[in-house]
Amino acid sequence: MNRLRALGKWFDDRLALGRLYDHTLGHRIPLSSASAWYVFGSATLLCLIIQLVTGICLALVYVPAPDQAYASIEYLDYVQPLGWYLRALHYWGSNFMVALVTIHLIQVFLFGAYKYPRELTWMVGSGLFLATLGMAFTGQTIRFDQDAYWGVEIIVSILGRLPLVGEYATHLLQGGPIVGSETLSRFFALHVFVIPGLLIGLLVVHIRLVLVLGISEYPEAGKPLDKETYAEDYEATVARSGIRLMPEGGGKDLVFSALILTAIILCAAFIGPKIPNGPADPSLIHTVPRPDFYFLSLFAAFALMPPYLEGFVIVYLMPLAVVLLFAVPFLSRGAERHPSRRPGAVVLVVLVGVSLVTLAYEGVLSPWSPEMDAWSGQPVQPQFVEGRSPLEHVGATLLQAKQCRNCHALDGKGGKRGPDLAGVAMRLTPDQLVRQVLQGGGNMPAYGKHLAPHEVSALVAFLETLHPANAAPARNSAQPSGGVAGQPDKP
Amino acid sequence: MNRRLLFRMFRVLMFAALVLGMASGCDSLPGRPDPADRYQRPDEVTDFTTLFATNCSGCHGAEGRRGPATPLGDPHYAALAQPAYLERIIGDGVGGTPMPPFAQARGGNLTEEQVSVLAQGIRAWGADVAGSTPTPPPLVAASPDQNPGSPARGEVAYAAFCADCHGPGGAGGEKAGSLVDPAYLGLVSDQALRTAVIVGREDLGMPGWQADQGRGISAGEISDVVAWLGSQRPSSAQGRPSGDGR
Ligand code: HEC
Ligand code: HEC
Ligand code: HEC
Repeated sequence: MNRLRALGKWFDDRLALGRLYDHTLGHRIPLSSASAWYVFGSATLLCLIIQLVTGICLALVYVPAPDQAYASIEYLDYVQPLGWYLRALHYWGSNFMVALVTIHLIQVFLFGAYKYPRELTWMVGSGLFLATLGMAFTGQTIRFDQDAYWGVEIIVSILGRLPLVGEYATHLLQGGPIVGSETLSRFFALHVFVIPGLLIGLLVVHIRLVLVLGISEYPEAGKPLDKETYAEDYEATVARSGIRLMPEGGGKDLVFSALILTAIILCAAFIGPKIPNGPADPSLIHTVPRPDFYFLSLFAAFALMPPYLEGFVIVYLMPLAVVLLFAVPFLSRGAERHPSRRPGAVVLVVLVGVSLVTLAYEGVLSPWSPEMDAWSGQPVQPQFVEGRSPLEHVGATLLQAKQCRNCHALDGKGGKRGPDLAGVAMRLTPDQLVRQVLQGGGNMPAYGKHLAPHEVSALVAFLETLHPANAAPARNSAQPSGGVAGQPDKP
Repeated sequence: MNRRLLFRMFRVLMFAALVLGMASGCDSLPGRPDPADRYQRPDEVTDFTTLFATNCSGCHGAEGRRGPATPLGDPHYAALAQPAYLERIIGDGVGGTPMPPFAQARGGNLTEEQVSVLAQGIRAWGADVAGSTPTPPPLVAASPDQNPGSPARGEVAYAAFCADCHGPGGAGGEKAGSLVDPAYLGLVSDQALRTAVIVGREDLGMPGWQADQGRGISAGEISDVVAWLGSQRPSSAQGRPSGDGR
């Protein structure tokens, strides 16, 4: 034992580990900072470490070449022993990291921890937040499946709209004028060199700031922050009742991190990695691409936004949002830190949170994207076939053949871009049905030129049967007997 | 919370993580991707059930029954339809009707192999009744030019065999809808009419030829009824629906 201690001392004399400890893990923090609310930052760090370890392992197998990337992912999934597990850990590590860094950011915002003297810590942290999202995005891209292809197309079209630099930026990112073989190399370099380098650099500064400035006290309502006396007060508090970050202060961090580690392992083992959905080949349009969850809101926002707004949002709103994020400490200058004294901040968090969740929910349903295979693969259910006449049956097959079903569901089955047609005869009279089909409107194309008169009659005859058996359908006002005006074909 | 307790929790959790991490070494956890879920290019699918469900069930119904178009899953239909005939219809579609061409050569999505898998699969639905007697009239009329049905005789046959349900003159009745609606006739081929009479729509309450054990409508009368219905097709029907894929 004494030998061991002597050896330890030998190293300590040279490396000064004891002093390093005193200034880092051993540095003293206020007792109130060892709060259970303060555990998210360290857990994010844990995720980063998992990502680095698993990422390096993955890089040993992954081939960043367009014709082999997808195959190497499948090799990991199906051939390499435990390759799938490695992918699963990396995938869930990234999901947890995005979630935790977001929660950390919200917590710091709500507790006003970005206020004097920690403005710079917040700004560097914002950089870390964006870098984490950048990692997540480039990571899903180098899977190089159809979702990835979508992602690149979107980001490129966003960049392309930036004034002046737009064209240049897209060229730089794609490695050429179109999404092609060079693009993958660019994203790979970003994912394994550029962004991680940036991330680690920012992290060093972030941690340095935490160590120099200490950890903010748990906020107290009615105890405003005074810049004049802050430093003195902080030092006094630490001297009076301070504890060491490790081991006294960090117990909760350790437990929470262990919990997160267990959760990641469990998710990886039981849910597994994200299975790539087909090679990135624009000629395959059968799947509806969808990004990983953290970008669902963005995906939904762009899909739902009217096209004339897109330019404005991309050129002004998105950069503005980033600038605002960095500028938070300078915009919110009040002395109060406790959320109960800052209702505006709470409302803001709730608003942003609710809109992101709603958008993500829309993104999960992605009702705006037509269901490409519905016309041939989504049966007209028997309840819409029974009791119908031969003409109405042909109408139903036309509803399929003209791909109306790709946008319109029948009783919940089919595309969700347009309204469900199951009860449409209750809403629209035969005349209105004809008009809708011929002229379209809203987001529906006009079919006038693509339908022969017989086809219109058959389609509308079928649509007219779409009402509950016990309810009368809507009628043309002028023609109480029904029948389609202007359609002499009716019997 | 006291420190000892926290550290004990930490130890327990780390131990759990370690055990779990090792347990995943057995490589048979639920998270492991199942090669069956692996993405397949649509043109590599050769499983009949999948092919039918994704390409045909929309109109012909799940398993070929109770959909708006011809009940391909009716064993009597499946036993009568020859593979070459099925392959031709699937590949080329039926011009002037909603039945689209599926062959890649005709702008569809299916490879020749997939078309043939579909034809074989549909045939297999009829295995139970194939070869049973009495033998129904051929699904496809020998050659309409050689042996055209007579509309006049067809009208008589219609009154005898169909009017009960489809109403006098074909205008629709209590039990079934109109067969002479110009829009309907303008969008349906003679072959589809013939198929309807021979196979029926057992799934919707229309008996086929089989129901009377052949004592009902004769092969000649079938051609006549089809000829009579076809004669009422409006001249405005753009490009007369044709069973031969034109
Ligand atoms: C027992 C009643 C009954 C008889 C007899 C009958 N049908 Fe039908 N038929 C139906 C029903 C029910 C349908 C389903 C469509 C409907 O309800 O209108 C149908 C549908 C059809 C269809 C269209 C198939 C479809 O998918 O909609 C045709 C063509 C047809 N019948 C022709 C005939 C001819 C020709 C005859 C005489 C040889 C005949 N039917 C005799 C009841 C009958
Ligand atoms: C690209 C997607 C798309 C396709 C394809 C499409 N629709 Fe629509 N449809 C819509 C949308 C979106 C609306 C809602 C329009 C609005 O808000 O005014 C709509 C509305 C309708 C309505 C009115 C529904 C109501 O409840 O008010 C009918 C009827 C309809 N479509 C029939 C059809 C038919 C028949 C076809 C095929 C010939 C078809 N649609 C093809 C998107 C589509
Ligand atoms: C968009 C609707 C639609 C789809 C999808 C569709 N069909 Fe059809 N099919 C029809 C209609 C309508 C007819 C009747 C055409 C006519 O009038 O001859 C038909 C007729 C047929 C016939 C001839 C029936 C007879 O009278 O002998 C066959 C065989 C057939 N379809 C097979 C298929 C197969 C196999 C698929 C899938 C690859 C398919 N269809 C997909 C609408 C469809």
